[in-house]
Amino acid sequence: MSKYAPKLSELKKEFDEKPTVLKGDYSPQEWWERPVEFRDGNWCFSGKPEVLQDLGFANPRKWAATDDDWQLPPGWQKTISEGLQSRLKKYRSLKLFLDACVRCGACADKCHFFLGTGDPKNMPVVRAELLRSVYRNDFPLVEKILKGFSGSRKLTEAVIKEWHMYFHQCTECRRCSVFCPFGIDTAEITMMVRELLNLIGVNNNWILAPVSNCNRTGNHLGIEPHTFVQNINSLVEDIEDLTGVAVEPTFNRKGAEVLFITPSGDVFGDPGVYTMMGYLLLFHHIGLDYTISTYASEGGNFGMFTSNDMMKKLNAKMYHEAKRLGVKWLLGGECGHMWRVVHQYMNTMNGPADFLEVPVSPITGTRFSNAAATKMVHIAEFTADLIHNKKLKLDPKRNDHLRTTFHDSCNVARGMGMFEEPRSILRNVCNSFHEMAEDTIREKTFCCGSGSGLNAEEYMEIRMRGGFPRANAVKQVKDRHKVNSLVTICAIDRASLPPLMNYWNPGVSVYGLHELVGNALVMQGEKKRTTDLRENAMAGFEDGGDDEE
Amino acid sequence: MNNSMSKEWEYILHANRDVILEQWLERSLALFPEKMGYDTPVAEVLADALSKLLCGLGEENQRFRDALDDVTRILAVQSFPPSRAISIFFEPKTMFREMMMKPALAERLTLEVQSAFSSRIDELVLQAFDSYTQHREKIAQLKVEEGSRRMYMALRRAEA
Repeated sequence: MSKYAPKLSELKKEFDEKPTVLKGDYSPQEWWERPVEFRDGNWCFSGKPEVLQDLGFANPRKWAATDDDWQLPPGWQKTISEGLQSRLKKYRSLKLFLDACVRCGACADKCHFFLGTGDPKNMPVVRAELLRSVYRNDFPLVEKILKGFSGSRKLTEAVIKEWHMYFHQCTECRRCSVFCPFGIDTAEITMMVRELLNLIGVNNNWILAPVSNCNRTGNHLGIEPHTFVQNINSLVEDIEDLTGVAVEPTFNRKGAEVLFITPSGDVFGDPGVYTMMGYLLLFHHIGLDYTISTYASEGGNFGMFTSNDMMKKLNAKMYHEAKRLGVKWLLGGECGHMWRVVHQYMNTMNGPADFLEVPVSPITGTRFSNAAATKMVHIAEFTADLIHNKKLKLDPKRNDHLRTTFHDSCNVARGMGMFEEPRSILRNVCNSFHEMAEDTIREKTFCCGSGSGLNAEEYMEIRMRGGFPRANAVKQVKDRHKVNSLVTICAIDRASLPPLMNYWNPGVSVYGLHELVGNALVMQGEKKRTTDLRENAMAGFEDGGDDEE
Repeated sequence: MNNSMSKEWEYILHANRDVILEQWLERSLALFPEKMGYDTPVAEVLADALSKLLCGLGEENQRFRDALDDVTRILAVQSFPPSRAISIFFEPKTMFREMMMKPALAERLTLEVQSAFSSRIDELVLQAFDSYTQHREKIAQLKVEEGSRRMYMALRRAEA
């Protein structure tokens, strides 16, 4: 039996004591009155004391969400209350979002967690109300006078537990905000609540451990520079074995034109490493003057799920490194929230990056004026421009063994409005591409269910529930068009969609977009290709196939 | 199973399909925290799968087995315990009993027919249990695989 499964005694207790709705035996309490119930499987493990100490975060201790006593620090109510007050002053958006909501409910059925669990507290409006009710109790004068009419409540330990439960069932994907007539960004409310919770040591190890690693060695897994280089070099060897071409990435090279930064998952995890191989082949193909840093060795920024200050610090290292190496501009790999941080927060946090130049593609001469502030170009824009200017020699037949669909990653789609570039690339590197249903793609894309640091193993069931709407949309194209490949441009997706597909849609594999680019690129001096970068046979390229020279 | 009895309950099932399906779906959705809405993807999949289950109860086919898989796949990752998840497969028995109240059906729904149907439902529950367990095993397997994928390069070096 899995170590996270409920114990038999707990199940028996539940069976005996709980009312069951089945026979009309409803709970005497209304849903909003029921206290949250933590049990193994519905919470992410708490931050380890040593991780908190490394980061200088509050209240390091051993604790579990299933404990009755969470060992909150003395005066925690004051900490939260003052923390909220100072953030209301600092961020006008937060005050606006707390005041503006009219509870119209347009967001209610847009959340993948609500759709996957049916739990009303997962409606974005109700989730935000969990904070709003405390805000109303403590802040505006009118609300104080109208106490009892305004849905306000006191800040108790039960409220903290509720926050911990439901603000960790929000992936900050912002699908709800697309439908909000006021444009309320519930992701920012979640970010603020998680920041407040961190002030009193209520946290998630799957977020804090990567933050601490990133803070110390530069990437989520804490890979040190020599291992980082070793990993990439072993991918270089794989590329040579498969294609006969020796690509030559450089590391920490001063004076390179471009600094390339990608999520470290592309350097250590499967299937991210195949996407990395795609990047390396592409850069070799066009002769790009680039370097990779072993210090700024992470595109991802789990600071975004922790606190504004931490997000700023982790983002700054990319720009420090660009300055130190004296590059002209930054090229960023396939990542999700890294792009929300860069696109929406970087300029006011660490910008302007005046020491860099507005990016210009050295191959096509295209000036990326959209990146004039951040000086960082998304790889999909970069490659789409190369293809548009016919600078790549591509053979889409090499991806004929893949029947693809495209998953818009939340932060790239809704966070920076990028929809067409990846699709344009995909249409040029493969022959079979089928869109999912219209209300599940582009700005209305459904989250993978594991974003914002919820990709923990112990959280698997909740992730499967949260990812159900996405999986269901993939199932439709699988049934209708025999789709077997889900292509995406986010490292969290590459990590979390394989189990999601394996559970809901067995037979569908997950690919990074640039892995397909790598498959299709016809390299100068290459040997005859019969397999793709995963060493899977390509259709029609078997020995004696139609591609014989 | 007595063949003529089987034919008889199949006829009754068929004649009352819409009512049974509606009730079955409603009770299934009631398993969720605050009753899952009808216009959600979960409800859509359940409605489709339960309908296929009813169709295939008499004569099983691949569609029936896939549908059973679809239902248990949803149930196996919910917050309620296994006993409650599996309980919905007993529901058709209750609904059949309730139908006895209808004068038009009382005559056809003899004790023998009921008992034959009841046996079939018991079998369905056991099939559902097998399928549910497979999905629980799959979840455990996914956790292991995810760990290996995350450590792919490190494991590769260790194995080299």
